[in-house]
Formats: sequence, structure tokens, C-alpha cells
Amino acid sequence: MPDHDAAMLVHYLVVGAMLFGLGATGFLARRNIIVMFLCAEMMLQGVSLSLVAWSRYHDDFGGQLLVLFIIAVAACEAAIALALVLMLFRRRGSLDIVLWQDLREADQPPAVDRELPESPPEPAPEWPRLAPAGRQPEVPREETEYRPHV
Amino acid sequence: MIDARIIILLAVLLGGAGVWQMLPRGAARGRATGAVLAAASLGLFASQLPGWSDWVAGALFYVLAGVTLASAACTISFRSPVYAAIWFGMSLLGTAGLFLTQGAQFLAVATVVVYAGAILVTFLFVLMLAEPTGRAHYDRVSWEALVSASCGAAFVGVLTATLLGVVTVQGDYPGFRGEAREDRTVPFGPPGRLVRPGNLPGQTQQGQVLADEHVKALGDALFGRHLIAVQVAGVLLLAALVGAAVIVGRSRGPLVGPPAGPPHGALGTLPDHQGPGGDGHA
Repeated sequence: MPDHDAAMLVHYLVVGAMLFGLGATGFLARRNIIVMFLCAEMMLQGVSLSLVAWSRYHDDFGGQLLVLFIIAVAACEAAIALALVLMLFRRRGSLDIVLWQDLREADQPPAVDRELPESPPEPAPEWPRLAPAGRQPEVPREETEYRPHV
Repeated sequence: MIDARIIILLAVLLGGAGVWQMLPRGAARGRATGAVLAAASLGLFASQLPGWSDWVAGALFYVLAGVTLASAACTISFRSPVYAAIWFGMSLLGTAGLFLTQGAQFLAVATVVVYAGAILVTFLFVLMLAEPTGRAHYDRVSWEALVSASCGAAFVGVLTATLLGVVTVQGDYPGFRGEAREDRTVPFGPPGRLVRPGNLPGQTQQGQVLADEHVKALGDALFGRHLIAVQVAGVLLLAALVGAAVIVGRSRGPLVGPPAGPPHGALGTLPDHQGPGGDGHA
């Protein structure tokens, strides 16, 4: 049934293209380095989905094997990217990609952030109040140092 | 009857506008509006796709695809990077389900294990180092949200229009069906049960991908025909491992950077990292 197979193939290819498009949009728009990395992985997922659909359509394992190698390369990429993100975070103390804009072309103007209106502060969380029972436990002093809040 | 191209164009425009509304844009809040627009766009796209002969398979596909795409949209639109990572994991699960419906059982499991189990968790660890709450300034704004969404929507539109044009000629695209490829000689690996690369859509040989012994057949293909590629992938993994260790272990600064980065614009000065180093982390 080549017609049915072709119809099924088209569905999966459209979803793969949409995943790729969403990933590309996020990669272009977001400023958090890690979210940019996740968007790159999402583009890989879109391509993988297309490859698997083609593999089913041709009844050939080539597409699935290529996806296997994509997964291997993505694992390598994640390891290297994790190391790089840690290094970048150590250097600038933030995951903002704009802090690395001195890597841009020489004649490009720097990106200047527009002043955002301050978002309204979120209301303090309402913790449940328990009836006091017993005496208050003593919290070790060193524990309060590295655990500032719950 | 409206022309299909008009509907596709409308769907692309709606989808682009929806994604643009959903992206974080400072104080503007349009996530609900964007979600409605994007859902309408998906419906228009779905109306142009060919129908399913089996309604159970169609319903399964639409549920899985909806979960995948909605989670992907949430990934790029949520401000908190932790939520974005978790939604990305949900999108991965949807993708794994789509793999499963296409007969790629091993790949579905491998995706869940490798991506959701290893890569995503590792990046959640890194996110814990930074500000995970989404209150950071750079998480609340986007680069050129309108242009980015337009680029993505144009890409999807071009691909979709091309695809649907292909389908209307009933798969008889030139140069594809006519030339039957020969059964190529396999340069490496043992001869025997190898996947023939010449299964074209019109041919009758069926049931390789959907065979019962799926993993066995996949392993035959992987370690027979593609044995050298497997070796190269292993070397690549090793090189990545060594490279990551070298990159991270080179400097012995504090694991967590200074609490406040340099102000925007003061990019020439690097913060000094001669803190209490040497605490032994790698």
C-alpha cells in the first residue's frame, strides 16, 4: 500500500519539520545558554523523526542506524557543551549569552538591552502553618549557612 | 473549496504569530493567546494532511504529535530554564512514542535512556548552579522574537508546502522509483543477512523494519555493514569524554561563579577568579 505508506510518511515529516522549526526559533530567540542547547537538541529530534519515518517508508534500516549515530554524536555534544557551559559560567558568572557578545564581528554594534519594566514581585508563598508541638529543634549552625531558605 | 496553498499560508502565519506571542518578551504576557493561535495553526495543518486508513493509528499519531509539539512550544516559551528542560523531556517522550509507532523500538528506548536519562539530567544539574527560577533578566526577554518566529514559521511553511506538493503526484516523483539500485557489495563485515539498501516503495519485499526480531535485525545491520562507523563513533565518544575532562579540569576556580555578573556594557573586564581555589573539584 504505497499510498497509505506515503500518507503516513507525510504526517511524520510534517511533525519533524515543526520540531525543527520550533527548535530553530528557540535557538534564535532565547538568551539562556542551556535553553539554546536544548533547542539545538530539539532540532536534532526533528531530523531524527524524519529519518525514522523515511526508514519505515523504504523498509530499510539505514535511517534508524543514522539516528543511532545521531544519538551518539548528541551524547558527545552534550558532554562538550556541559564542560563549555561550566567554563563560560565560571568566567562571567551568568548564563546570559549577551555577555559573550564581544565575540561578534568587528563592525557590528553591540546589543543594548532595553530597560524592562520591573515585573511585579511574586507574592510570597503561603506555607502551611502547623500547630506547635514539642520544643523547637536546634538547627546546627553550619546547616543554616548553606541552606538559606527552604 | 479554498486552495490548499492559501490554507498552508494561513497556517504558517498563525503559527508564527502564535510562537511570537508565546516567546518571553519582557513584561508582555501573551502565552494564552499564542497557544490558541498555535493550536489553530496545527488544526489547519492537520486539515491539509492526507487521511488515515486506520483511525486508531491516526488518533495515536495525533495524540503523540500534539504532546510532542505542545511540549516543544512550552520548552521555548517558559521563562524558567528548569521548566524548559522538563518540558523538553516531555517532548522527548512524545518523540519516543512516535518512534515506537514507526517501528523503531530500539531507538525509542535509546532516546528515553540517553536523552531523558542522561543528557537532560546532566543539564538540570548545571541549571542548579545558575538561577533556576526564571527571575533572571535574560530569561525574561528574547532576541528579536518576531524575526525568530518568522524564520521558524517560514522554514516550516516551505517544507510543508513542498511535502504536500509531493503527495499530490501520488509518490511517482521522477528519478526515484525508476532506478532500481543494485544490491551493493558490502565492503566490511561478514556477508549474509544484511539489509538490502534497494527496497523501493513499490517493491513487494516487506517486513524488515517491522520484523518480529527487530533488535536482532538492527544489530545485524549495525555491526555488519556499519561496523567501521560504530568503531569511529566509539572513538568519538572517547575523545569527547577526554575533551570534556580537559576543558573543565583545566582551571581550578570556584565551582560557582561570582553572584552578580558584570553589568551589561562593562564587558572588557573579567571578574577575578582567584578565590579560595583548590578545593579539589574537577
